[in-house]
Amino acid sequence: MNAKPVSIALAGNPNCGKTTLFNALTGARHHVGNWPGVTVEKRSGVFTAGDVRFEVVDLPGCYSLSARSEDERIAAHHLGQGEVDLILNVLDASNLERNLFLTTQLLELGKPIVFVLNMMDDAEKRGIAIDIPTLETLLGGPVVPTVGNREEGIAALKDTLASVVTGADTKLRHIPVDYGHDLLGELQKLEAEIGRDEVLAKTMPLRWLALQLLEGGAEAAELAEASHAKVAIQAQVEKSRTFLEAHLGNDTAGLIAEHRYGFAHGLVAEAVKHPEREPDSSTGKLDGLLTHRWLGIPIFIVVLALIYTLSFVVGQYPQDWIGMGFSALSSFLAAHLPPGELTSLLTDGVIPGVSAVMVFLPVIMILMGCISFLEDTGYMARAAFIMDRAMHLMGLHGKSFIPLLMGSGCNVPAIQATRTIESRQDRLITILVTPLVSCSARLQVYIVIAGTFFKPLYAGLAILAMHVLGFGLAMIMGRLLRSTLFSGPNSPFVMELPPYRMPVMRTTAIHMWDKAKVFLTRAGTTIFAGATLVWFLSRYPGIADQDLALKYRGQREAVMALNIPQDQKAVQLRDLELVHEGNIVNTSLAARIGKKVEPFLSPIFDPQGHRQEAWKDVIALTAGFVAKEIVVSTMAVIYQSSEEPRAGEKLSPLQVTLRDKSGLTPLTALAFMIFTLIYTPCLGTVSMIRREAGSWGWAGFTVAYGLVLGWSLSWATVAIGRMMGFA
Amino acid sequence: MTQPQEIPLSSLQPGEAGEVLRVTAQGPIRQRLLEMGFIRGAKLRVEKLAPMGDPMELVIKGYHLSLRREESSCILVQPASA
Repeated sequence: MNAKPVSIALAGNPNCGKTTLFNALTGARHHVGNWPGVTVEKRSGVFTAGDVRFEVVDLPGCYSLSARSEDERIAAHHLGQGEVDLILNVLDASNLERNLFLTTQLLELGKPIVFVLNMMDDAEKRGIAIDIPTLETLLGGPVVPTVGNREEGIAALKDTLASVVTGADTKLRHIPVDYGHDLLGELQKLEAEIGRDEVLAKTMPLRWLALQLLEGGAEAAELAEASHAKVAIQAQVEKSRTFLEAHLGNDTAGLIAEHRYGFAHGLVAEAVKHPEREPDSSTGKLDGLLTHRWLGIPIFIVVLALIYTLSFVVGQYPQDWIGMGFSALSSFLAAHLPPGELTSLLTDGVIPGVSAVMVFLPVIMILMGCISFLEDTGYMARAAFIMDRAMHLMGLHGKSFIPLLMGSGCNVPAIQATRTIESRQDRLITILVTPLVSCSARLQVYIVIAGTFFKPLYAGLAILAMHVLGFGLAMIMGRLLRSTLFSGPNSPFVMELPPYRMPVMRTTAIHMWDKAKVFLTRAGTTIFAGATLVWFLSRYPGIADQDLALKYRGQREAVMALNIPQDQKAVQLRDLELVHEGNIVNTSLAARIGKKVEPFLSPIFDPQGHRQEAWKDVIALTAGFVAKEIVVSTMAVIYQSSEEPRAGEKLSPLQVTLRDKSGLTPLTALAFMIFTLIYTPCLGTVSMIRREAGSWGWAGFTVAYGLVLGWSLSWATVAIGRMMGFA
Repeated sequence: MTQPQEIPLSSLQPGEAGEVLRVTAQGPIRQRLLEMGFIRGAKLRVEKLAPMGDPMELVIKGYHLSLRREESSCILVQPASA
């Protein structure tokens, strides 16, 4: 056995079935992470064939290696490294010519290549016949036909890989792409200049560097910039470009592309037989319906409604079970452990913290499953096709629509879903505006506040207005970000519409599990830490106060000794507990901070300076940073009244207290709702932004602009409201 | 023999076919379009427009692609005589 595994890079176009093939090769033994410094998924895994151990890295799918997009840069960079022993080039057999364009670039890397003709079943269905021995001769490497989603040809592929490594396979030859007499002459001149710098010449094959420089590839330009022969190289690039443009009537990038496609076309002409007339494909018929002029949008809405229902309505059940499980655990421990700081840390800090993380899991897994399924079917590209016009007007991309809409269920998986957007710029803008979309956790706050301060009809309208406001702000911010921070040239919308395919359930399941793992490890730890911190701020120093604890115990014992029915006793005990907790929270560090911060918030929540207890809002909003629905349960504690309505009453005790004692008016209540909508994304969302945008900077930016925007809008609401005569 | 007629791809109607003459876009967009197969002489056919009139779907090199008007107006084609 080899000591070091043979390193394979899996390269191919998007939609060629690379990931399915990767899964078939590695089974469950794979690892998902990010490429260094960027948020593009890196999948790597191991497998053995014969006596050889392989380590395979799945490169991002790309159409070319010109290193213009993040994906291409990563692929080009990884392939250029000396560590890659062997390239596995996956080709879609039913779309060979376009797929071979990338191959022409891979051939120039001078590494052994094994070719995989994937999706052979699709090609056969379309009546395309491929002469594999001819293809092997023309490409200079073994060609293995596979059907990745049925795992056909995987064994043969492993055998071929092993025989290439052991030297038993004799099909490997170096095949140069023909660039024609003039272009070749210029390439050789440029290669001679590059060759003067030995260090540079060792990083990449000369032909590759020369081509990339002539085309204007970013990676090669950077390498040349760092070279001591930089001046000579750049002068030769200019000379060659001028010569070629004058002689061949096309710029060099165009010429090189023409020759590459010429090679691909020649190969297809030799080795592939297309039918005279292609049979009517099911894709064509399906597409006619799904992107139909009138039916396309209604069908899209139905699909969205289905995903939404599945994720946020059906997903609500397991979410509730998990939540109930944790609160049962918490009350069990509270009842059986001696009261004190440690018990409180467990029952009010750790367990609710873990629970706040775990309840997200079902929603995330279902939503990610749906999105992965839609992507693999090919419908996601159609959805972007349908919605692009509308989204483009708002500075966004067609693919931004689904994450934005799913944000109204929960922002966390919505931000995870932005991975489907290829362009980094479009993805970042979508990530940054998604938190403005009002999620279901914020709805719980609106229901309590609006239900307290507005008549039923107006309460409904106010809640609806919050959702409209959220979407509206997301669009305005999208446009604003596009024209300020991201004002560079628009990333081109050149999107392939792949044939419809039935996804492999295994791939979908693996994807769901990977996303869940990411959430648990990354967001989970942050939420947990945040929840514990908020617990600490809101309990200390009161919880350590022995006199308070003693007094509470005495009161409890007095109630226990009363001769009243059990259920009345329970109510009284619950009230006592709330008062006790309220005493702790209202003297806590959070309360002290609240009193300090109050002056900043009084213009929006207390314009007339009437409210004695406006600082309590700060505690509730701080706690809401962990998860927005916690605003409600925290209010119940700080106002010392239960959030559960008594039988036969419309308002819960909390709502009655808010109405009578909080000092909020309908106008400031509205400002409170607006502030809750915008002030900051919750911790889970913030940590997901950090992961998906790639830096704490962007996460911090989202929090900061949320605070500023939330404050300004609430202030404007109060100011305008007062001018119009509302209190 | 008449001069080849040169029109932007964006003015081809659904169902119409043509042949690429040149790509007038510059920079990264040009490179991307070249890579996707918009080279001199490549044949293409416009399939349909999205429900809101933009982007367009077309077939080139045997596969389906969608382009915004911004991009398709930078590609000059010779319409195929029907």
